[in-house]
Amino acid sequence: MTSAPSPSPQKMGEGERRAGGGWGLDHRATFRWLIFPPFVWLGLFLIAPLLLMAAFSFRSDLRGDLLQVWTPTLAQYARLAEVGSYWRLLGISALMALGVAVAAAILAYPLAYFLAFHGGAATGLYLVLLLVPFWTSYLLRVMAWKLMLGTEGVINSFLQYIHLIEEPLPALLYNRTAVIITLIYVWIPFAMLPILAALQRIEWSLFEAAADLGARPFHQFTRITLPLSLPGVFAAFFMVFIPTVGEYVTPILVGGSSGSMYGNIIQDFFTKAANWPLGSALSMIMLLATLLFVFIAIRLINLRELLE
Amino acid sequence: METKLSMFFVTRCLALVLALALTACGAPAPAPATEAPPAELTGSLTVLDWAGYDAEDFWTDFKNTYPNVNVNFEIGASDADIYGKMKAGDQADIFHPYTGWLQFYVEEGLVEEIDTSKLTNWDKVPENFKEIGQFNGKQYFIPWDWGFTSILYRTDRVPEGIDSWSALMDPRFAGHLSMWDDGPGAVTVSSYIHEYDETAITEDQLAAIKEEWIAQRSLNLFYWAGEPELVDAMKSGDIWVAYAWQGAYALLLGEGVPVAYANPKEGRNSWVGVYGIRKGTENYELALKFLDSKLAEATGNNVVNLFYYGHSNQDVMTGITDETLKQAFSIDDPAILEKTNFTPNLTAEQRDAWTAMWAEVKAAP
Repeated sequence: MTSAPSPSPQKMGEGERRAGGGWGLDHRATFRWLIFPPFVWLGLFLIAPLLLMAAFSFRSDLRGDLLQVWTPTLAQYARLAEVGSYWRLLGISALMALGVAVAAAILAYPLAYFLAFHGGAATGLYLVLLLVPFWTSYLLRVMAWKLMLGTEGVINSFLQYIHLIEEPLPALLYNRTAVIITLIYVWIPFAMLPILAALQRIEWSLFEAAADLGARPFHQFTRITLPLSLPGVFAAFFMVFIPTVGEYVTPILVGGSSGSMYGNIIQDFFTKAANWPLGSALSMIMLLATLLFVFIAIRLINLRELLE
Repeated sequence: METKLSMFFVTRCLALVLALALTACGAPAPAPATEAPPAELTGSLTVLDWAGYDAEDFWTDFKNTYPNVNVNFEIGASDADIYGKMKAGDQADIFHPYTGWLQFYVEEGLVEEIDTSKLTNWDKVPENFKEIGQFNGKQYFIPWDWGFTSILYRTDRVPEGIDSWSALMDPRFAGHLSMWDDGPGAVTVSSYIHEYDETAITEDQLAAIKEEWIAQRSLNLFYWAGEPELVDAMKSGDIWVAYAWQGAYALLLGEGVPVAYANPKEGRNSWVGVYGIRKGTENYELALKFLDSKLAEATGNNVVNLFYYGHSNQDVMTGITDETLKQAFSIDDPAILEKTNFTPNLTAEQRDAWTAMWAEVKAAP
C-alpha cells in the first residue's frame, strides 16, 4: 500500500500554480484596489501627521500661525542634547519595554501552547474567556491594579488579615515595578495571539515523524515546537516592545512621581506645556531610536530565515 | 381664534426666518428692532470647557431662557490643552481659560473683545474681577469662577497643623505628599517659600527650584492631575498633605474626612477662571447671551453648591449661608484677601522654561 505510486506533493503544487496562472494578474490588480483604502488611510492619518510632526520639531516656538512657512532650526534638538535626563529616561523606557516584552512573551507561551494542543473543542471558548477582560476599557483594567496594589488594596488587606504584616506595604503601588507588573498583565493575552497562530500552523505529521524516530516529548518540543513557533514569539515580542517604549497611560495611573516614562515627557510637552516643537523633537528621537533598535534586532535574529 | 393662531404662526415663522437669515449671514448685522423672543431663538453654540462644566447645572440659565439653542461641548484637559486646541484652529465659539494663560489668547489674536453693554448681569461683577479680563484697555474675557490654592491636610495625621508651603517638602510626610502635576504651580510654591518675585524668576532661581522639586520627588507619592484622584487618596489615607484647590477641601469636609485647609504664612494662592469668545466666530451675539447667562444667579449658585468654587456674581457669594461653604471660601475672614497671592500672567518664555523645568524634574534620575 505504502509503496503504491502516488503523485508527489511537489508536482501537484506546481500543477496548481500553473493552473492558477491565468488569473494571477487579475488577482494582483484586485489586490491593488483592495490595498488602496488602507493605503490612503495610513497616508492621511499616519504618514502626514508624522511628517508634520517632523516639520514641527524644526520650529523655534509655537508663536504665530500654525501652518506657516518657518525657518528650520535645530534649537529644539540642541536643547534636548543638553538635558541628559531625557536620554537616560529613553534608555530606561527601552529597558522597561524590553523586560515587559520578554516577560509577556514567555508568560504567554504556555497559554498559547495549552490552547493550541490541549484546548480541544473548547479552544474557542478558552480564547473568548481570555479576551473577555479586554472588552472593558484599558483604563478600567489599569485602575483595577490600583485596587489590587493600593495601601487599602486586596494584597495589603489580605496580608494584614492573615497577620503577616501589621502596617500596609506602601511600596506596591506608585513606582516602576508597579508599571512593569501592570504592563505585563495587560500585554499577555495580546502576546499570546501570534504565538498561538504559529503553534497552530505546525503540522501534526512532524510530531508523528519525531515520535516514530523515538523523540521524547521534551525533544519534540525543543526540536520542533519551539523552533517552528519562534516567528510567533518574535512577533509577540515586537508587538509588545514597540508600543511599550512610548507608553504613558500606565505610568500616570500606577507609576507615581518616580515612575515616569519617556512617553510621559512627550505627552507633557503637548498637553501641559503647549510646547509642540519640543514635544515633536522628543517624539522624533524616540521614533528613530525604536526603529534603529528593531532594525538591529531583526538583523540579529534574522527573522527572514526563521520564517522560511 | 383662528386668525389669532395664524397670526401667531406668521410671527413665529418670521422670527424663525430672521434667526436663520442672521445665522446664515453670520455678519454682525445690526440687531433688528424687534428681536425674537428668547424662547424662539434658535442656533447652535460650541463651548470648549473643562470636564464637568458641560453639565447642564453650569449653564442652567441659558438652557431655560433659550431652550431652542443647541449647545455643544468640547472638553479640554488643562490650560495648555485648551490653548493648544484654540491655537490649532478649534472652531469652538466660547472657551474657558484660567489666570496665567489669558494674555496668550490676546497676543495671538485668538479672542474677540466683549461688548459688555449687552451683558445684563455685568453690574453684579466686582470691578477687581472685571480687571482680570482686561488687556490693552479692552475687555477680552468675563470672569466666572474663582478659588484658592493652598495646602490641604489630614488633621488626624498632622495634628500640629501646617503653617507654611514648605510642608510640601517636609521629610516627616515622606510617601504621603502629593503635588499638582504642573510646572508653573511648582514655581509658584517655591517662590512663596523663598520669597522670589514670581513675575521675574531668574535662571539661577529656576535651577534652584528644579533641584528643590527633584529632592521633593522622593517624598512625593504621586503628582495629581485631576481633583477626584487627590480626593480619593486623601480619603483613603495615602495622602496626608497636598497642594489643593478648595473644591477638594469642601468635598472631603462634606464626606466627613478630618481635613483642614491651611492658611500658610506666605499666603494662599488664588486663581480666576474666565470665558472668552473666539475671534471670528459667526455666533458672536449668541455667545454674548451665553456669557451673560453664565453670570446669572441660578448658574452661579450651582457653581458654589456643586463644585464648591466661588462665582464672579457678588449676589451669589453674599447669599451663601451653608457653614461648610463659608469655611471653604473663608467668607467670615475679612483679612483673607490680604493674605492671598493672585496668579500672575505668564510670558511665553516663562511658560516654556517652567514647563520644561517640570519635565526635567520628572525625568531626573
